[in-house]
Amino acid sequence: MTMDAQLIEHMMNPKNYGTLEAADVEGIGKNPDNGEKVAIYIRVGKDEDELYIDDIRFQAIGCTTTVVAGSMLTEEAKGLNFNGVYNLVDATMNLLDKLPSEDAACSEMVALAIKAAVDTYEERKKNPDYPPITYMVTKSCVPKDEEYKTENTKEKE
Amino acid sequence: MKTVMIKAHEAWLATLMAGFMSTTKNKQVLFDFSDILFRHFTWLEHELIDLGESYSYDRDIIPIKVEKLSDMLHDIIKRLDEIDLQLLSSPDKDLNGRISSDIKYMTKVLSHMKDECITAFSMERKFPGVVLSQEATDALTLFLFEETYKEYELIMIYNYLKAHSTDAYLNRIFQILIDESFFHLKSFGDMGAKMGVLAVPRIVMKELYQVEDVVQFLKDGINEELAAKEECKKLSEAVSKDSPELEGFFDFINYQENYHIALMKDALAYFAKENNE
Repeated sequence: MTMDAQLIEHMMNPKNYGTLEAADVEGIGKNPDNGEKVAIYIRVGKDEDELYIDDIRFQAIGCTTTVVAGSMLTEEAKGLNFNGVYNLVDATMNLLDKLPSEDAACSEMVALAIKAAVDTYEERKKNPDYPPITYMVTKSCVPKDEEYKTENTKEKE
Repeated sequence: MKTVMIKAHEAWLATLMAGFMSTTKNKQVLFDFSDILFRHFTWLEHELIDLGESYSYDRDIIPIKVEKLSDMLHDIIKRLDEIDLQLLSSPDKDLNGRISSDIKYMTKVLSHMKDECITAFSMERKFPGVVLSQEATDALTLFLFEETYKEYELIMIYNYLKAHSTDAYLNRIFQILIDESFFHLKSFGDMGAKMGVLAVPRIVMKELYQVEDVVQFLKDGINEELAAKEECKKLSEAVSKDSPELEGFFDFINYQENYHIALMKDALAYFAKENNE
């Protein structure tokens, strides 16, 4: 992670961190490899029949990169209508290959948690008891050179 | 009662942060007061457990970005006054009396503390007396954010485990681990303040401290400590060229993790013995 002032500000004061008491739904993004996870809580508003994220919070079991990604993406998502949210998630997913693998897994986890929250909201319209959706990340959190080292070590063993 | 416990939690952290900000003899007083407030928090937690009330370690965000220490001190005094007022609704009058007496003394001392200019949020990321490369500076910054949170998380986990255990052997282990994490938290917080990147650790998620499988938690904990040792080793190597002092400090922290591993292994062996494994 290269650090500039904006990044350090997100590390020192992550935006939208915590739970949301009046949340309508929760969505989860999870890394099955290491147990890291992100929970997104959203309160949904309605403006001329269009649903939008009125308020959003997140919590993370993960590293600082996950917290920074959560801080940035929740700021982006706040106020967006659901189409805008799906576009934000798609745009983030399309950027992942350009990021270092450990940063990619963290950003993917946050993006998927946001998508899970909105998808859960849509499901609850049909079934109010629908449980919070969890999506698993596809990216590995281990940097490629570390993966190489680990594989080589295993072979030698 | 729950609100008082949450407010005690917040006051403890606010006072600890003020201790990190201070560069004068105020520092030790603030650290001592923060320790007392942590103990208030645990007393209140035990009262909730005795009453059979559910609770969590959720709390509000604590704003700490100030230019003068006096701004932070006023905030802490306000927090303590609120606690004092809300204690009136708490059933344990003896406990309330003890906490109230501490609060009266602490608010008096805090209101007379000499003011200081604060540089803990400058974002300069320069360690006093040491010139680090950009790479080493970034590595140190990331390490401080990660580990400050991690130590706070461990304090909350071990505190929760201790609060819900009546086993003297395990509680001795949990208490030592809490004490060790406090030392590390204070060391890293102080370094963060010197680097101008002081931050309150984020709120710990419930599922982390409301541990369902303590044995698995201890096994995972040993692996995490081994990973932490590696991080300390990497950081020690990254700063070794620029600062033998910092190199020595991170080697020291690295070897300290051996105590944590030994304690967790002791706890695991105890659980195995208890379960006749």
